[in-house]
Amino acid sequence: MDTLLTADIVANSPRFRRKSSTFVDAIHDLPEKADLAPAQLYSTESGRLFHSGRIVIITVGLPARGKTHMSVALARYLRWLGVKTRIFHLGDYRRATIPYGQDIPDDYFFVNASASSVLLRQKIVKRCREDIYHFLNHENGQIAIYDAVNPIASGRRSLAKEFSKHDIETLFIESWCDDERIIEENVRRVKISSPDYVGWSSEDAVKHYLTRIAARIPQFQTMEETDLNYIKMINAGERLIVNNKSFGYLSNRIVFYLLNLHIKSRHTYFARAGVSLEAGSYKADASLSEQGEEYAKKMTECLLQHREAERQAMADQGEKDYELKPLTVWTSTRRRTVETAKYLHEKGYKVRQRSQMSQLNPGVCEMMSEQKIRQEYPDEVAKHDLDPYHHRYPRAESYHDLAVRLEPIILELEREQNDLLIIAHESVLRVLYGYLMACNAADIPFLEFPRDEIIEIIPESYQNEARRIHIPGLPKEIIPGSPEDIKIPVPPSGMMTPLAGGLGSPKEGLATPQSGLRTPREPERISQQHVEDVV
Amino acid sequence: MSSGSIRRGNGHNYFASSDDSKICVVMVGLPARGKSLIAGKAMRYLAWVGIPARVFNVGSYRRAGTPQPNANFFDPHNTEGEKMRRAAAEAAVSDMLQWFQSGKGVVAILDATNSTKERRRWIHERCQEANVETLYVESICDDEDLIMNNILEVKTTSPDYKGQDPEVAALDFRNRIRNYEKVYETIDDNEKHFTYVKLINVGSTVIINQIKDYLSSRLVYYIQNLHIKPRSIWLSRHGESEYNLTGKIGGDSNISERGEAYARALPGLLKKSGVPPNTKIVIWTSTLKRTIQTAHHLAAETGFEKLEWKALDELDSGVCDGLTYEQIAEKYPEDFAARDEDKYNYRYRGGESYRDVVIRLEPIIMELERSENVIIVTHQAVLRCIYAYFLNTPQEQSPWMEVPLHTLIKLTPRAYGTDEQRFKADIPAVSTWRAKGTSAKHQEYPTEIKA
Repeated sequence: MDTLLTADIVANSPRFRRKSSTFVDAIHDLPEKADLAPAQLYSTESGRLFHSGRIVIITVGLPARGKTHMSVALARYLRWLGVKTRIFHLGDYRRATIPYGQDIPDDYFFVNASASSVLLRQKIVKRCREDIYHFLNHENGQIAIYDAVNPIASGRRSLAKEFSKHDIETLFIESWCDDERIIEENVRRVKISSPDYVGWSSEDAVKHYLTRIAARIPQFQTMEETDLNYIKMINAGERLIVNNKSFGYLSNRIVFYLLNLHIKSRHTYFARAGVSLEAGSYKADASLSEQGEEYAKKMTECLLQHREAERQAMADQGEKDYELKPLTVWTSTRRRTVETAKYLHEKGYKVRQRSQMSQLNPGVCEMMSEQKIRQEYPDEVAKHDLDPYHHRYPRAESYHDLAVRLEPIILELEREQNDLLIIAHESVLRVLYGYLMACNAADIPFLEFPRDEIIEIIPESYQNEARRIHIPGLPKEIIPGSPEDIKIPVPPSGMMTPLAGGLGSPKEGLATPQSGLRTPREPERISQQHVEDVV
Repeated sequence: MSSGSIRRGNGHNYFASSDDSKICVVMVGLPARGKSLIAGKAMRYLAWVGIPARVFNVGSYRRAGTPQPNANFFDPHNTEGEKMRRAAAEAAVSDMLQWFQSGKGVVAILDATNSTKERRRWIHERCQEANVETLYVESICDDEDLIMNNILEVKTTSPDYKGQDPEVAALDFRNRIRNYEKVYETIDDNEKHFTYVKLINVGSTVIINQIKDYLSSRLVYYIQNLHIKPRSIWLSRHGESEYNLTGKIGGDSNISERGEAYARALPGLLKKSGVPPNTKIVIWTSTLKRTIQTAHHLAAETGFEKLEWKALDELDSGVCDGLTYEQIAEKYPEDFAARDEDKYNYRYRGGESYRDVVIRLEPIIMELERSENVIIVTHQAVLRCIYAYFLNTPQEQSPWMEVPLHTLIKLTPRAYGTDEQRFKADIPAVSTWRAKGTSAKHQEYPTEIKA
């Protein structure tokens, strides 16, 4: 059973607990140098945004209300914005504190719990809180997400007081549901997949789970504390109540993000633009070459066939009336991306052009050979090697600049309810993929999107999965990365931590596209074998 | 290479096409709750990002029939008054729907008290028939001081009370509000199927219900970032650059000697423009050398916090970067002509249009709304765009606006618009302004337009 499995791992590896709830941007592993470490939007020496203090986001809500989904999505967004964010699941600390094989006391969540349960509770919370302080005070952390049930108003007040003593702001985010369908759907999707419920009908399992929750946590007070900063999310975003005592930049940002978050699942496809006539030139903005046209046709056919096969597969599984979500296409305003969408447009699919999705501007490096760049800008090359994600060549954009520019696209991506095909330059695909798959920033410049593959991203409850769809019959020479890329060799492999096996490794055939030259860092764990321990 | 399609701006704007939805923002709230302020700002913001938006103010329709009514007119028991107010609302809504039908409109803002459920339901029905989404924005305020301030500042200058004793006017207005209070119904759970935002005491509590599209979420985010604290925003171009001297555009050159003199003069110029004591100002620059150099002394002398924003970099002129206008006219004659014809939408080959710059500046505007005192040292095109936001300059005009070098512009937002003052440093610089149809270097802005 997965609760035990996690507890076992925790017991045997004290570092695991920290790691499993880690959302550390890889940039902070690099040597700190003020001149090359621009944080989000502007540079500061600490790596924190100066117009926002340190914040603990405290989740509130019963199990199966989507707290973890929200925490993970938020961490993904904040991290991507360049805000150093980490999630601390109180459940992990509970499991690490309570000896292996033992369950939590029955009255653990009760208001009038026995003295021993209260002591245990305090001990667990204290350990978690200490880790939060350490992260915020000594690791340049900016946002800690404290993921727990926090059912009682007085407990929440004392948490806020405790953190404010350390000069840390608090923002409570409550997930509240009175729509039984949403709760049951959540339980079905994430709570009852454990071996505990093997052989149960899903209806019985849901009922059983909810009864146990109700027995374990008999009291829950929804947030009404007007003296605290809080956001109450009702029925998965149907309504938001914002109690703004002292909202700063990031808190307002978070509200905006939550307004666009939904829990419906849809697929995102990534495809490269076809080859253009002046492939080497960024400025030319040329039309597709003949090969490019051919690619556009084949990519279109391949994608539509794939979608039809998916629909058929669902129908075969017994979902009789399964319908594909409508497909929308986004391109940049660059000619070759618009022209790559031509066939889809002709078939009646909606195509939208987005000026923010133009490729990374190579600045002075345009049409220069690697050797020439090395000769003319040796200092820049050295800086680039140190931090290829944040470094910008003269007049060029860094990947970080590109990510900032793409932010409205990210929000619309979250908001979009249709399936979505994004046709863009490789640099744009890297950043968007980096967001959806929570890649380490340092790995983003090295992601590869060969032209003979369409990437399909499928959202699962706690994680997104990437699949590759092969486009057959393309000439070899058009497959590799964009020729207009800045050709700086990547660091030799062996310098990076190799991919860890076990929980973190991607499933067979679902690997992150990566250049063969370099071993990626362990990908961020968006997926955790995390379960609420109240059952 | 031929320039087959010269007009690179595709005329497509990403916001409006976002889901082809048309939105009627319906303001809800008692008088003196800042509804018109929100409506006006939201309209300016939308127009600036390229979304056709218009405010329909029911009061001005009512005024056509009843220019200066007293408080009794607003008594719910005054059937005559009630009838006339109803007629005004109907006229405003009809005009609004006609505007949508003409295909010109994307967001309309219906500025009125809309204080009853019945009225709101009626608006919803009318909009629904016309395939227009409604977004209710209710402003609630129980802070008496805030309300009184609003009454004194704004309402006594309202056309309803023109030429009257301000104290009598304020009293009458207070009575008018009482009449509205008698029938006022706040948005509650019976209206939970509506998309609405409830702002309580200038956003200290916000309830956001059933947001269905990205544009609405963007609007809500914008409204949430508004504040009413007094502040100013200063805008300056960088000091004269080496490229300015030779008439080249773009690049990343250093500032000239005269530019350096401006950089040294900037702290004094800022002081001269009037900075209240103990004011903290944040300095924003682009990432290009000429703005960083220009702000150098200012930051060193004042110790103000300084930020470098990539989004404040100059409009990217693509292949034309580093050329003079003369050279562009020679090398790319068709492009040159096309740009003059529609400067706002023209996108340089491999570069940007003014429209593109506005889109990338949008987070900056959001941040500016949230911030208090800021001085921005940036570039001609970027400054024009920021200026256009605050002064509501139409798209056809803003790219041609004169923003001379070595001049500090001080903008002070007020309830219904923005005050502007300009302070010239007495340091000569070349002119970088260029008239439509010419390619002359260092042309002077014609004095007759100035006057």
